[in-house]
Amino acid sequence: MIRVENLNLVVGDPAGKGGSFALQNISLHVKPEEYFVLLGPTGSGKTLLLESLCGLNRIDSGQIVIDGVDVTLAEPRRRGIGYLPQDYALFAHKTVRGNIAFGLNSRSMAREIIRQRVVLLMDQFGVAHLADRYPQKLSGGEQQRVALARALAVEPKVLLLDEPVSALDEQTRDGICRQLRHLQQSTRTTAIHICHSFTEMLAVADRVGIIDQGQILQVATPQEVLHRPRNARIARFVQAGNLFTADARADGSWLRLTFAGGIGLSARREPGDRLEGEVFVMIRPESVRLGAKIFEHLEPETSLLEGTVDTVADLGPLVRIDVVCDGGAALVVSLGSKEYNDQSVRPGDRIYLAIAPQDVHVMSE
Amino acid sequence: MPVSGTHGVLFAASMLAFVVLFVGGLLAIFAADLRYIYGEPGVIAKVIRSPEIHAALWLSLWTSTVTVVLGLIFAIPMGYGLSRYRFPGHALVDSIVDLPIILPPLVVGLSLLVFFQTDFGKLIEATGLKFVFERKGIVLCQLLVSTSFGIRAIKLTFDGIDPRMENVAMTLGCTRAGAFFRVALPLAYRGIIVGGILIWTRAFGIFGPLMVFVGAVRMRTEVLPTTVYLEQSVGRIDVALAVAILMLLLATVALVAVRMLGLGQR
Repeated sequence: MIRVENLNLVVGDPAGKGGSFALQNISLHVKPEEYFVLLGPTGSGKTLLLESLCGLNRIDSGQIVIDGVDVTLAEPRRRGIGYLPQDYALFAHKTVRGNIAFGLNSRSMAREIIRQRVVLLMDQFGVAHLADRYPQKLSGGEQQRVALARALAVEPKVLLLDEPVSALDEQTRDGICRQLRHLQQSTRTTAIHICHSFTEMLAVADRVGIIDQGQILQVATPQEVLHRPRNARIARFVQAGNLFTADARADGSWLRLTFAGGIGLSARREPGDRLEGEVFVMIRPESVRLGAKIFEHLEPETSLLEGTVDTVADLGPLVRIDVVCDGGAALVVSLGSKEYNDQSVRPGDRIYLAIAPQDVHVMSE
Repeated sequence: MPVSGTHGVLFAASMLAFVVLFVGGLLAIFAADLRYIYGEPGVIAKVIRSPEIHAALWLSLWTSTVTVVLGLIFAIPMGYGLSRYRFPGHALVDSIVDLPIILPPLVVGLSLLVFFQTDFGKLIEATGLKFVFERKGIVLCQLLVSTSFGIRAIKLTFDGIDPRMENVAMTLGCTRAGAFFRVALPLAYRGIIVGGILIWTRAFGIFGPLMVFVGAVRMRTEVLPTTVYLEQSVGRIDVALAVAILMLLLATVALVAVRMLGLGQR
């Protein structure tokens, strides 16, 4: 549906006061009716890339294809896109009705058809009672619904959403994310949604592209990014929890990992894997088993560690437990509330930790 | 803004005290003028009946109005261009635009007189478009002296309008020009009205460059500020003050009318 090939763009003046920023060799393929999230920290180039897809920035090189049509040089109005910018950019001189009708008026449609379509959209988005209000008099959530209705009024092939929920409070955000997902599925639109929040991405994405410093670092499903980040940079961004450097040694179908303090772990070695020497190791906090007694049934090659509970933090649905392993390494363990209540772990307790080899993710960079 | 509590009242009062001082000072000066001409019976009737002053009044009004129209034709695209686009020498151009604000208006008149003595200036006048000692010259002087005020006000307005609104308009079917006319321009209307008021008031009040460039020929190139100058220079202070009061009344009516029509609360 959307294909971006080797997109390059430099903005700003390298010799100027603000310096320059570059999107480098961006290649992306978003499938039809897919909800694709571009996830990256502030200043990573997300908005610049989205604006390039909109046609608001003329790219230096590369190709953008939307629905089989090369739109690299096309004007924004000829790309078949609906654009929802950050803070929504509603037209302050137009009412809710005027904002939603704006794109339809631009297409010189019959007045009666525009009126009917606007009424339909206002009902669908629950803003009919606000029809004659100006944007300044709307709440953040209402503004967002009006902006979405305005973008969808022209029946775009692709919906481009620039941090659509970042201006909302946390409670509203969850609800709106669900609505966005539902809306995208019901209208069967392809959507690209950019954000810097990991939980927001998990709430909506079919697939995710991680972007940082103007480069796409990984494109995968949320679960893949969560459990198998391509490198330590991505692992840090997806809140890996436990990220260490270790010394790796190949041993048949296993990798033997040695950490500071002499702690040893085993990980699966994929066929053709050439990982050896200094590597990065990620273990998600929720993958670590924790027990007050030694475990009875363990998978082969599961690593068993002993340690002392340092701190326990109740985060509501999850409990974060910091453990100092014998040998000095610190490990974060995450338990569900119920699981934690069954274990009743307190700071200072001696505990055992079990880490299965498939939960040890090894990265070369 | 609602005012509550002792501190709030004190703060608001201290801010508004400056308004009272300034406006009160101006009113005191105007009251002194009125008192002066009140002591000279018949002067107001004389001013109202004078055909020379009628001609000067009419000339002042239409030249200032034409200047506003021409000034806005320049100020709107210039304000938008300087606000939205960056180019080499942007800061220099931005500063040059402000020069007529800083320069004494007399210098503009003098420079125009010199310019029309150059070959290029003579070429322009040879086409039949004559400015020196002509009524068209009044508009040219007013335009050069007052347009910068309008450009500055309109540029600041466009600076405050989020360009993303125009970006959205372009994704919704507008061309770049369409986004300007359908989004940026309507959003800037208050700034444009303010710019227009600034151009009009400045144009209505100038006389220094006119004395140099178009002269002060009665019934021909004399505008109201010139009348005030000429009357006081021959010692008819009462007539000069009566004309000044007439100018004040006209300007106040025009400003209040424009503000009420164009700057009402949405």
